[in-house]
Amino acid sequence: MQIECIVFFVMLGVFLLGNFLLKLPVSLSMVAGAVAGALAAGDGIPLRHLFEGTFVYLDTVLIIATAMIFMTVVQEAGTLDALAEVIVSRFYKVPAVMLVLLMIIVMFPGMVTGSSTASVLSAGAIVAPILLLMGLPAPTAGAFLAIGAVLGMAAPPVNIPAMLITGGVDMPYIGFEGPLFTLTIGSGVIAALFLGLRHCRNLDYRVIGRELDHETGKKYGLKLYLPLVLLICLMLACRLFPNVVPTLGMPLIFLISAAVGCFTGRRFPIAASIREAMRTTVPVLGKLMGVGMFIQVMTLTGVRGFIVDSCLGLPAALLYLAICTVMPAFGAVSSYGSASVLGVPFMLALLSTGNQTVIAASLAFIVCMGDLMPPTALAGNYAAQIVKERYSKVLPQCAVPVLVCILMGLAFLLNSGSLGFLVP
Amino acid sequence: MTIIMKKPLLSAAVLLLAAALCVVSLASDFRAMQEREPIYPGPGVTSVRMLSDWFPGIYGTPGDTEVYILEGKKPGSAMLVLGGTHANEPSGMLAATLLVENAQPEEGTLYVITHTNQTGFTCTDPQEAAPMRFTIDTPAGPRWFRYGSRASNPIYQWPDPEIYVHASSGQQLSGSETRNLNRAYPGRPDGTLTEKIAYAITELIRTEKIAVEVDLHEASPEYPTINAIVAHENAMGLASDSLINMQLEGMDISLEPSPKNLHGLSHREIGDFTDAYALLMETSNPAQGRLRGRTDEHLVVTGQDKFYLKAFGYGRLYVPYDENGHPISQRVARHVTGIAAFANSYTEMNLGGERGGINLGTLPGYEELESDIGPYLCPKA
Repeated sequence: MQIECIVFFVMLGVFLLGNFLLKLPVSLSMVAGAVAGALAAGDGIPLRHLFEGTFVYLDTVLIIATAMIFMTVVQEAGTLDALAEVIVSRFYKVPAVMLVLLMIIVMFPGMVTGSSTASVLSAGAIVAPILLLMGLPAPTAGAFLAIGAVLGMAAPPVNIPAMLITGGVDMPYIGFEGPLFTLTIGSGVIAALFLGLRHCRNLDYRVIGRELDHETGKKYGLKLYLPLVLLICLMLACRLFPNVVPTLGMPLIFLISAAVGCFTGRRFPIAASIREAMRTTVPVLGKLMGVGMFIQVMTLTGVRGFIVDSCLGLPAALLYLAICTVMPAFGAVSSYGSASVLGVPFMLALLSTGNQTVIAASLAFIVCMGDLMPPTALAGNYAAQIVKERYSKVLPQCAVPVLVCILMGLAFLLNSGSLGFLVP
Repeated sequence: MTIIMKKPLLSAAVLLLAAALCVVSLASDFRAMQEREPIYPGPGVTSVRMLSDWFPGIYGTPGDTEVYILEGKKPGSAMLVLGGTHANEPSGMLAATLLVENAQPEEGTLYVITHTNQTGFTCTDPQEAAPMRFTIDTPAGPRWFRYGSRASNPIYQWPDPEIYVHASSGQQLSGSETRNLNRAYPGRPDGTLTEKIAYAITELIRTEKIAVEVDLHEASPEYPTINAIVAHENAMGLASDSLINMQLEGMDISLEPSPKNLHGLSHREIGDFTDAYALLMETSNPAQGRLRGRTDEHLVVTGQDKFYLKAFGYGRLYVPYDENGHPISQRVARHVTGIAAFANSYTEMNLGGERGGINLGTLPGYEELESDIGPYLCPKA
């Protein structure tokens, strides 16, 4: 057995031991796994690498922390209650249409920012109470949000894994709208109807109406929606006019919008609410830091190369199997990491098999499913938190839609040549 | 965990103290990357200027860098060599350093920048686990060089936008490419630090009427454009002629046209926005590849890796690979031979007309360098 294989099993073993037997938090278990791997490889305790590895998630940590503050503010201020009331009272007669619309709303922030976290934490918070009112059980509602968030991350115009893959092979990020739009909207409609329709075929507005907050919207009027409008405007302005509007960055956009939200609706204890938001967020931030250390040690010790090399050594049929399994599974560590570390070599291996844009789009689409994989599972974890459910209950509900998505991605990969018409 | 729950303040204090100790003890490691490796200008160097001389907008910034000027005995055309555009592709920086310390041009002027993106040498890329330094054995003892990041140091340019929009073309790339100098050309005087560095280089090329520009790079062995020259369409004739001469010297090398729809790269934008013949060279560096095993100084210098050997066995590489790997001496030899070939072809084809040619004088040959670059990189007192 190769040393890298042994080191990999040591890392995994110590992580699982820490997490499941010793009941340590995921973050500390990841750190323990990373340290054990480095010791097994003869690198001692590589403090520099443990420290450096965490920095890859610095931006993500800031986005998550500020997004949680924003979400708390719009919840406490009553914006979400008012929005739920408006959407339900308009669309309750056509639940299928309402489900698809809600799915598109969840996807929207991800389409603009390329981040499933942004989707689930902004639009997810708006849509969650509506789904629950419509009768979806909390785990199913969580799955709805999580799937919508990863589809938003995959949807055009911004698909960061596709950008990472194309950047790795010097291909321009041009012509991806067609294949990505077809994949994501198709999967989104299927997932929305599959998860939601059986729970809300016959909505009784008299029943759900009692659960809605009819007062807040009337009391504060349109200004209640100002933080949401501002958030969308700032996101769009930075994206559409990059040479005019300075790059504010998602954290600042969330903070500005949250600051406005403090004065547009119900009054609430701001400091206490923000403290509570941060308290619930810290475990996920810690998890990201642990994952950063874990990957850095994997690279240092050669485990990363061992995994990539093992996948690329597979015969053609198994190569596609690895694309559909290992690539999303690597998302348990990081989807962007998966796109860069595995997506690029897979892209190179498939370059001559069909339309290159369709191939890159399909790989990027499959990569995005990694944001649902534990232990990081950013989209899944936050979706679970929003519906106040454990992620272990939400995850099984995601299984069928994820499988459908991966199969659609695989079908696109296998038929990329004949799907070239999707690329203008 | 029970202790943490029961004594949160004490636990927090202990953890904060531990974090502070880590930061203090690691600070010297990271700060050491600010120390520049010594460069010993050879007898051919007639002056050393700063890049900010051509664009004062980067004066005093971490992006400013030395430009070594080697004027020939006879006037002629000018050539610019860019090493260290990507600080994790060390053979470009070493080849440029070797020119500064050994070249003595006979005709024309050679401009050399050894650390084109100086800030990239002051940090490493998280999760790449690269060594911070590597050493080359020379007859006068080991000599150290920094191994840095592909991109500008985020300490000086942060945060990255989600999407990087290339200014003059509108092309969209992943946000992390915002700090990639070779996606920033022709640059902007009022842009990011990286765009300003690109702009300064473009200004140098325009002002000094640079005739040939060569950007030295490396790529991973699984990347299709490897052991190759990438040439702007205007430079294809020059590149083709040079290619033949390089092949005659025993180098296996190919020629790729610069893609017209891939913007921000030196071979595209310098070719489009200036009169220079824009060329880029790629060698094979396993230390930056995704298939590599253990990442350390040995891999950087020898280019030997068992996973790449296996990957070559099942046909996943675009270059031959055996147990000898792709040592850095071979990669530097390819770059230096290429630069000499471009200068020779430029002169032989009389592309400079009345301005004259470029003759870099006697440079060590490909085989000589391939066997050992140490004698040409001796530290001097």
